[in-house]
Amino acid sequence: MRALSKSFETKEGPILRKSKKTLVAVDDISFNVPKGEIFGLLGPNGAGKTTTIKMLCTLITPTSGDAFINGVSIVENAQKVRENLGVMLTGERTLYWKLTGRENLEYFAALYHLQPSDSRTRIDYLLQLLGLKDREHTIVENYSTGMRIRLSFAKALLNEAPVLLFDEPTASLDPQSSRLIRDVIRSLKKEGHAIILTTHNMDEADLLSDRVAITDHGRIVRLGSPSELKDKMKSNDIIEIEAVNLSDQTVNTLQSFSEISKVALSTKDSNDNKGILRIHAEKGKEVLPRLLEFLVRKQISITKVSFIEPTLEDVFISETGRSLRD
Amino acid sequence: MRMISGLRGTLGVLAAIFWKGMKHYLRYPGSLLIYLMLPFLFTMLIFGMGRFIGGGNAALNFATRTGTSNVLVYEMLGGAVWMTSWVVVEDVGVALRDEQMKGTLEQNFLAPVNRFTLLIGISLTDIAITTAIFLVVVGATLVFTMPGAYLAFFQAFLILLIGLIPLFGLGFFFSGFVIKFKEPYIFTQMVNLIFGTLTGTYYPVTILPYWVQFLSGVLPQTYVISNMRQIILANQTLVSLYGSIFILLALAVVYPTLGYLVFKKLEKDASVTGELSKY
Repeated sequence: MRALSKSFETKEGPILRKSKKTLVAVDDISFNVPKGEIFGLLGPNGAGKTTTIKMLCTLITPTSGDAFINGVSIVENAQKVRENLGVMLTGERTLYWKLTGRENLEYFAALYHLQPSDSRTRIDYLLQLLGLKDREHTIVENYSTGMRIRLSFAKALLNEAPVLLFDEPTASLDPQSSRLIRDVIRSLKKEGHAIILTTHNMDEADLLSDRVAITDHGRIVRLGSPSELKDKMKSNDIIEIEAVNLSDQTVNTLQSFSEISKVALSTKDSNDNKGILRIHAEKGKEVLPRLLEFLVRKQISITKVSFIEPTLEDVFISETGRSLRD
Repeated sequence: MRMISGLRGTLGVLAAIFWKGMKHYLRYPGSLLIYLMLPFLFTMLIFGMGRFIGGGNAALNFATRTGTSNVLVYEMLGGAVWMTSWVVVEDVGVALRDEQMKGTLEQNFLAPVNRFTLLIGISLTDIAITTAIFLVVVGATLVFTMPGAYLAFFQAFLILLIGLIPLFGLGFFFSGFVIKFKEPYIFTQMVNLIFGTLTGTYYPVTILPYWVQFLSGVLPQTYVISNMRQIILANQTLVSLYGSIFILLALAVVYPTLGYLVFKKLEKDASVTGELSKY
């Protein structure tokens, strides 16, 4: 992918007085993914992950730059690109709810020009692999959410494409189905597929990805293997404080502490301002008493304090000063 | 994995789209039943209004202005063509927007298929549906009112098949338009009512003001309705109507070309603006 960018023109304001604004969704992104690698695009909502995926699969035309899927340009030869791609977009609304699971796969297999005999074998295999064989003749509207997402995942694997794009593949899945999808993604990597995966689930990115690009506001802010990225955080202690009555003002004040390098707040319950503070400090144990004293003085009720190992979320916090869940 | 290439591959895609559409129609037959019933219901409505407004002279006035006293066949032919046009505008015109709202449009556009092929596939389903409408509505009417008019019925059916080509062109045009501007059903309902008014569905277009007749003259439905009536009610043939059929054939070139160009332009614009992904 070479310097890929996408901006959208939006119109805002009341009727007759609308003004045009330019929103930069993806800003000069470059990376490459070799065969047999799982590449994670990690970032909060609005970071440009889905726009990147949609440009790669030719649904959106880039404003500038280009990307090559199996050597084919997305700008020059969109149809050929689509032959080389298997794509799963977010959500369960990607299927025909009034067709059965098998009919959905048969339909899309025809769209990918699969030989009917190969298509039957492939569909049988995928239905079995994803635990849908016994419900293959059920109308999709009678499927559970998890079954629909697994079927949508199966659809992306129909044409055995060399490059696979998965946009939030385990979003809204139960833990068991998530594990199944992750196992399949790992085995696809072993088969030599190049896989790009977007997620805002840092644990999933950490578990699956060989390399991760951390994105924010359309740009890649950090790129490397999960262990490399986390190792760079090892010079800091990470304190996690779960508390009630937290506010942005608290975060701003904590940020002014000279011993603290970064603070991020992720809200769990907005009714009582319950949330988790993640604090990066070079000497955590030394700053902790002063920190707790400040919070108690501000009448913040603390429910849990712990020192934790750095995660990819901490990498994101250290680069942007915000939590992934913001 | 072995792929089918070339024409065979495209035919496989078209067959898949056709059967997907037919399964939807047959599993949920409500819309098909409505399409089959509406021409009868509209004709009854027109019949009642005619008797109310025209009183005792209604039948005579009708015969004077149309050259036939067979009110039922005259009105049912108009109604059947209107319903055909209705199906094409609703199905082809709205199909992609409908898929967009369901969330399946992107899935279709992800496949290595020319995006226009998707519209052709949807049109194939419509050929089956409109044929069913014609067979039931016109066939049933003729069986009870003009038994034995098989040749005329067959020629009228051929006129319908020719007329479907420019109608699909109109559908392609609306399809791109609807993806760009959303609001599909308000738009198609308005268009369908305008078509019903302008194309001589229930009265001859000659009663319309001259400038409106000009608009009628560029709509293929006008020629389809008129030719069918000439064949079934005035003993004309495909050969004797060559002039009118030539215009219909010309429209069969103009409308699909125009529809294709507009669709490609608006589809490309939607890909740039990101409209394809918006529900």
